[in-house]
Amino acid sequence: MKGIRGISQLSTRLYAAQAARKRRFHVAARTGQSLAQPLAGLKLSPGAAHSLKDIHVTRLPSGLVIASLENYSPASKIGVFVKAGCRYETPDNQGVTHLLRLASNLTTKGASSFKICHGVEAVGGSLSVTSSRENMIYTVDCLRDDVDTVMEYLINVTTAPEFRPWEVSDLTPRVKMDKAQAAQSAQIGVIEGLHEAAYKNALCNSLYCPTHMVGNIQSGHLHQFVQNNFTSARMALVGLGVDHTVLKQVGEQFLNIRSGTGTTGAKAQYRGGEIRLPSLSSLVHSAVVSESAAASTSEALAFSVLQHLLGAGLHVKRGSCASSKLVQGVAKATADPFDVSAFNSSYSDSGLFGIYTISQPAVAGDVIRAALAEVKAVADGGVTAADLTRAKAQLKGQFLMSLETSEGLLEAMGTQALVEGSYCSAEEVSKNIDNVSLTDVANAAKKFVTGKKTMASSGNLIKTPFVDEI
Amino acid sequence: MASRAPVATGRLLLGVRKWYYSLCGFNKIGLMRDDTILEDSDVKEALRRIPETQYNDRMFRIKRALDLSMKQQILPKDQWTKYEEDERYLTPYLEEVIRERQEMEEWMKR
Repeated sequence: MKGIRGISQLSTRLYAAQAARKRRFHVAARTGQSLAQPLAGLKLSPGAAHSLKDIHVTRLPSGLVIASLENYSPASKIGVFVKAGCRYETPDNQGVTHLLRLASNLTTKGASSFKICHGVEAVGGSLSVTSSRENMIYTVDCLRDDVDTVMEYLINVTTAPEFRPWEVSDLTPRVKMDKAQAAQSAQIGVIEGLHEAAYKNALCNSLYCPTHMVGNIQSGHLHQFVQNNFTSARMALVGLGVDHTVLKQVGEQFLNIRSGTGTTGAKAQYRGGEIRLPSLSSLVHSAVVSESAAASTSEALAFSVLQHLLGAGLHVKRGSCASSKLVQGVAKATADPFDVSAFNSSYSDSGLFGIYTISQPAVAGDVIRAALAEVKAVADGGVTAADLTRAKAQLKGQFLMSLETSEGLLEAMGTQALVEGSYCSAEEVSKNIDNVSLTDVANAAKKFVTGKKTMASSGNLIKTPFVDEI
Repeated sequence: MASRAPVATGRLLLGVRKWYYSLCGFNKIGLMRDDTILEDSDVKEALRRIPETQYNDRMFRIKRALDLSMKQQILPKDQWTKYEEDERYLTPYLEEVIRERQEMEEWMKR
């Protein structure tokens, strides 16, 4: 038994065997023993200071936060998270983060553009940049043995870019291409418009370069933005499948060239407005939101539960969304095809919560009003305990499943390290979700119903109401 | 360089250089040395990279030189480009272009 199973699983177990030099798992020899717990009666050599599944977080004196998890996977993933999202753009350099996103492969002080591209490809790795309204994330994946090579490129790109003027102006066609692709998607248009209408500053900045700045962002803008925002206190270095001490060394030696906190971003001011984007589309996309809560508060958790209570997307493909209150409520108002879900996004100092509807142009008003009536019903106390349990289970399920992929886990570790400097385990988060009560959820819904609304609509808007008419 | 050798040798070399510079004659129609480089693909790429002000100055000097050459004239002596003022503005960019091309060729050989 042991021998046959052992041989067929030799290739997969080799990594575990190599990395777990200090322990030996005689898996097939013991039955009835849970594989998730360390084996009883095992003598550990003195070097094994930490157990397998811990996520280690350290904060260096320069402010840099280092987080890592040794998951014994054959592929490693390293991310540099920076608080340099588009909310930190100033009025004279709108769109600089869009260019920074595209500029990750440009020449740096240590490697030319050609070398970065071919060097990363030569080891079969990949270098990518994602940016959100708050953070910029540079990720590099590679095989475990090639971590040193790609780490060098990653550090070069994040700390020592040169932004040569001709390379930056060569990015203009790519900016235009990005914008053209974003224009194809109605959702992107509505969500960008929603933020633009909802806030006076910071969070109203778009993820995409505004049309008037395309071709006008110079190398100097990029340098200045990096100078002001890519400082050690605003960065986190996160690794999956790398040793914590290695990351710490890298962080101490290389990621501390710009110390301090850089320029502090302005506090986002919610204003509540409306934006209408008429187009020839045969569907009307509309979002009606109000200010919710900042990300780390318990109120934000209540809004997340409320989102799942009302309905946050399909759980069964091509199903009837039987558990979604919004879908069931709107189905009574119209027989035409539609879609509705709750919209919830939280940032470090503010958040937006509301509903997002997709409907036929003639019944857009009915759909929006029916959806809002459902939210009002929740605010008035029409929620049963069973509904709440179901919503909590769905939220927990979605959260835990997002941690299943290495991208999801890296992002969770990184954003938490950046914002809080520590990692909240999945169990803790599940407990916090369980502690959300009916009154919390009802209060969240009340806050939406009574708050100043922001609305963004796109499509054939003839029958779509204005924000003061809904 | 000229620490042990007599100063006279340094001055001699400089004199030879200046003599050769005026012998070449492009300074008489107001050009700099980098204006006269043959435009192969490396130089074209380097020209794409220089700052706009320098590019415009280069274009002006070349136009003026073409005009003078057509009229079979040269500039008055006080307007000739002096050896000390001749700035190798294109050379850094050109060297960078050549270095990048060589890196690419090195890589492709492997």
